[in-house]
Amino acid sequence: MSYLRRSPWILHYDGSSCNGCDIEVLACLTPLYDVERFGVVNTGNPKHADILLVTGSVNERNIEIIQNLHRQMPDPKVVVAVGACAVSGGIFARAYNVQGGIDQVIPVDVYAPGCAARPETIIDAVIAGIGVLERKRKVSA
Amino acid sequence: MTPALLVLVFVVLGPVLGGLLAGADRIVSARMQGRVGPPLLQPFYDVGKLFQKRVRRVNPVAEPLLIGHVVFMALAGVLVIGGGDLIFAMFVLALAALFLVLAAGSADSPYSNVGAERELVVLLASEPFFILMMAAICKVTGESTFSGVMDSPVRVAVELPGALLAFLFVITIKLRKSPFDISTTHHHPHQELVRGLTSDLSGRQLGWVELAHWYECALLAVFVVLFFNWSAPLGILAFVVAYGLEVLVDNSTSRAKWQLVLRSAWAVTLVLAGGNLLALYVVGV
Amino acid sequence: MSWTVPVLVGLPTVVGAVLLVVRRAPLRNTLVVVASVLVTAASVAAVAVLADRAGDGGAFFGLPGGMTPGYAVLAMDVVLAGTIIGFGVAHRRWFAPLLALAQLGIAGYLELGHHLPHLEADRLFWVDNLSLIMILVIGVVGPLICVHALGYMRDYHRANPMVRGRRTVFFCLLFVFLGAMFGLVITNDLPLMHVFWEVTTLCSFLLIGYTRTTETIGYAFRALNMNMIGGLGFSLAILILAGQRSGVDLARLTAEPVGGLLLAAVALLALAGLTKSAQMPFSDWLIGAMYAPTPTSALLHSSTMVKAGVFLLLRLSPAMTGSTVGTLVAGIGLLTFLFVSAVAITEQNAKKILAYSTIGSLGLVTGCAGVGTAQAVWVGAMIVIFHALAKGLLFLVVGTLENRLHTKDVEYFDTLLSRMPRVSALALVGIAGMFIAPFGVVVAKWAAIRAFLEVPGWTGAAFVVIMAFGSSLTIFYWGKLLIKILSMRAVDPVERALESRVTRFEWVTETTLAVGVVAVTALLAVLSDHVVSPYAAAAFPSGDAAAGVDPVVVGVTLLAVVFLPILAVSAWRRGGFDQADFYAGGRSTRPDHAMGAALGATRSVTLRGYYLDDVVDGALLFRAGSLVCGLALVAMAVVGWVVAA
Repeated sequence: MSYLRRSPWILHYDGSSCNGCDIEVLACLTPLYDVERFGVVNTGNPKHADILLVTGSVNERNIEIIQNLHRQMPDPKVVVAVGACAVSGGIFARAYNVQGGIDQVIPVDVYAPGCAARPETIIDAVIAGIGVLERKRKVSA
Repeated sequence: MTPALLVLVFVVLGPVLGGLLAGADRIVSARMQGRVGPPLLQPFYDVGKLFQKRVRRVNPVAEPLLIGHVVFMALAGVLVIGGGDLIFAMFVLALAALFLVLAAGSADSPYSNVGAERELVVLLASEPFFILMMAAICKVTGESTFSGVMDSPVRVAVELPGALLAFLFVITIKLRKSPFDISTTHHHPHQELVRGLTSDLSGRQLGWVELAHWYECALLAVFVVLFFNWSAPLGILAFVVAYGLEVLVDNSTSRAKWQLVLRSAWAVTLVLAGGNLLALYVVGV
Repeated sequence: MSWTVPVLVGLPTVVGAVLLVVRRAPLRNTLVVVASVLVTAASVAAVAVLADRAGDGGAFFGLPGGMTPGYAVLAMDVVLAGTIIGFGVAHRRWFAPLLALAQLGIAGYLELGHHLPHLEADRLFWVDNLSLIMILVIGVVGPLICVHALGYMRDYHRANPMVRGRRTVFFCLLFVFLGAMFGLVITNDLPLMHVFWEVTTLCSFLLIGYTRTTETIGYAFRALNMNMIGGLGFSLAILILAGQRSGVDLARLTAEPVGGLLLAAVALLALAGLTKSAQMPFSDWLIGAMYAPTPTSALLHSSTMVKAGVFLLLRLSPAMTGSTVGTLVAGIGLLTFLFVSAVAITEQNAKKILAYSTIGSLGLVTGCAGVGTAQAVWVGAMIVIFHALAKGLLFLVVGTLENRLHTKDVEYFDTLLSRMPRVSALALVGIAGMFIAPFGVVVAKWAAIRAFLEVPGWTGAAFVVIMAFGSSLTIFYWGKLLIKILSMRAVDPVERALESRVTRFEWVTETTLAVGVVAVTALLAVLSDHVVSPYAAAAFPSGDAAAGVDPVVVGVTLLAVVFLPILAVSAWRRGGFDQADFYAGGRSTRPDHAMGAALGATRSVTLRGYYLDDVVDGALLFRAGSLVCGLALVAMAVVGWVVAA
């Protein structure tokens, strides 16, 4: 039996962004959406996390950070790109210091569109991420 | 029940009780915040998951230390329940706590180190009370074992009201609940501590920490039962009430500085528990 | 069995004298090693011979052929006083010479005026299980430290070329000291014991001042002054006892609780014990003594000489039990334990941390001796054994570290497991022996709390409160040190090579002591049943059954004995981990624990322990403790005066 699907712990990282998606991620934790119902915990520490939730785009200075955080997460792990910027760079895509979406630097498993991404979308994306997590566990086991 | 059976019950059911308590804690906390909260069995899912994850080991000594943490925590409980000397069990309990400190400290990293050093402060703050509490319980009943105290005609809580009050205060520190969660934290990410003690632990390493914590909770429940030695159900009820108060305090306060934790814990221990013990001599035991 | 005295006392003394003229290092090395083996063999043989008769209340015997020391005691007093006066005059220090003169005056008055009732020739020496324990501690730990010193002193002089090498004197003093210690723990005749007592004081004085800098000479005289205060107390006690029916017979004096003038004499002897064991307000001298070369600290100032103080107190325990003097002695010991444990938290110098811990452990023994029950002295004797092994080991390890790392600051001991894994393992065994439950000292602490709970009246409760706080304080400073030692990071090859330069003398001695710590822990029950409990039962025949060891405790002990080596082995099993993998807020980290910083810079990570400066003021606490214990001492003087009058 797998416990992964019942206990997805999240690490949230916000790159170059307007903070819109950032706020929507936090909204998921509030009484209205209460993702803890599904066992979701916002850990704030890659060592404890199963899902890396990235909002905002990648710029020259945070490539290293995103890669480090991703590397430090123990397997199995998935990456969820939340919002237009994380998916593709969004309105920052053409900026001189922006590389583009998260998939430019780490492998992304789930893309959640929106500007800003709605909490429902984010929760859906996390649930989809749990599915990927489960598949990865089976592959590695 | 025979001591051997009691020990078995503790080893098996101790973590179950601790885990259920943690689950109830999360539900009650969520309700206090106007949320629904996770299922009651969520802590078990979490730990189950942790044991299914890979481990990213930062150094080779952390894991044996963590296993030592669990083994000696359980052993402290086994000693208490199984008829070992109660005061000696407190030293084993301190050793178990120390193993966690060392596991964190061995990572030699900023957040783990802060957590480890602060957990030492937690130990320093809470340990005198536990030794004093057991010494006082042994003194008033004239016994030195769990079954002896339970069979004693002396009503411990009636003799040691001060120690009981101090217990309520000190378990806030021992359970690492706000405002005394100086070394690690169960909720609120993105703090100066990250996760303190457990910052560099991952996968089953974290699972060991949780398991030990459940044993610790179960042991604290046993301590409360010792206070209400004339009626075990009353003791369990008292523990539930006390734990409920802890959750309320946890959700309504912010973290204190370690200086305050140390000063207040020592003051409470000295005045309430020490004073209680001395008072017994003044009135005569 | 009368041969034991000349062998135990004579052999090391003769070796010491020979070493004084041996200037060539290889010859000295051989001589010291051979002599050490002989001294150990002699002590083991003596114990084997004496063991049968020592069990029940002890055996009494004299010198071969029924000789009596006669005026030799006075002659030795003259030599000792002359030496002290000589040094005092040379350095313009007058306090110690004054005290020496006073003591000499008392000795001269008693001997020349024939006021001293001499002991029967066959009662000069008294050996019971406590003496046997001390003989083994001195005979096993002492020579090991002497051998260790061969390696340490060589490196010490290489690292400190400014210090003039006087190794002939150094090794001579170590062995003469061992002889005096053997004499001290088997003597029943108080004036003779006083001679041995003063010889150890003098050895300590000369060894602390080994480097002959202004600083160390100051500390040497501080130690001398405080120990001479105790020595004068010893002399005064003899003066009082000379006029009493029991005479200067230690065994008769301590057979049962005493009152009146005898209690005053016991109080004066206790004063001597308190100064020798560096209890507050006399703790200062032991801290200053840490400036001596580290083998000195290991031998005199932790394993053996300071134990002479608590040995005397344990001897006096049956005489002072139940009296105000006993309670005050216990109070001084336990308060000392509490205060120095708190001060140790604020200390960064490894040797001083060990010194504070030593004073604290001796304080526990003092407390147990003062309480005076079978259970309490059982605890006291147990601590003596464990402390001698574990703390001796720790001092030697710190000596090794000091020569390799060129610092005594514990902040520089971090990541030791990565740099010097074998030395770390030895340090871990020593620390475990000192405070990790359920190793010896912790078993003793627990038993002490049990014993104090039996003490009637509020003092027992107060003692338990002190124990609860004191032992928590010890967890803090040891825990902090353990974090330092156990932390790991990648180190460069130069640092990894440090360990290969540790001398063979050091490896052999430290490993032997570590094995000793583990063995004694594993054999806790045997030790208790066959050695310590009989001693406690003999010292307090009327008391309750002597404390035994709970089988559960033994079980837990064995678990830890098995568990810790597994831990150590797994620590050496390398691979499967990534030292660079610690969390630093997403910044890049390196195996040597440097991390990325702003603008592409790289910063090394430096981690410091907590010293609780905001809450604990070490200097203030030290003064406060000295004041409180000083007041207790004054109270003791008043009590002594009142009962005597």
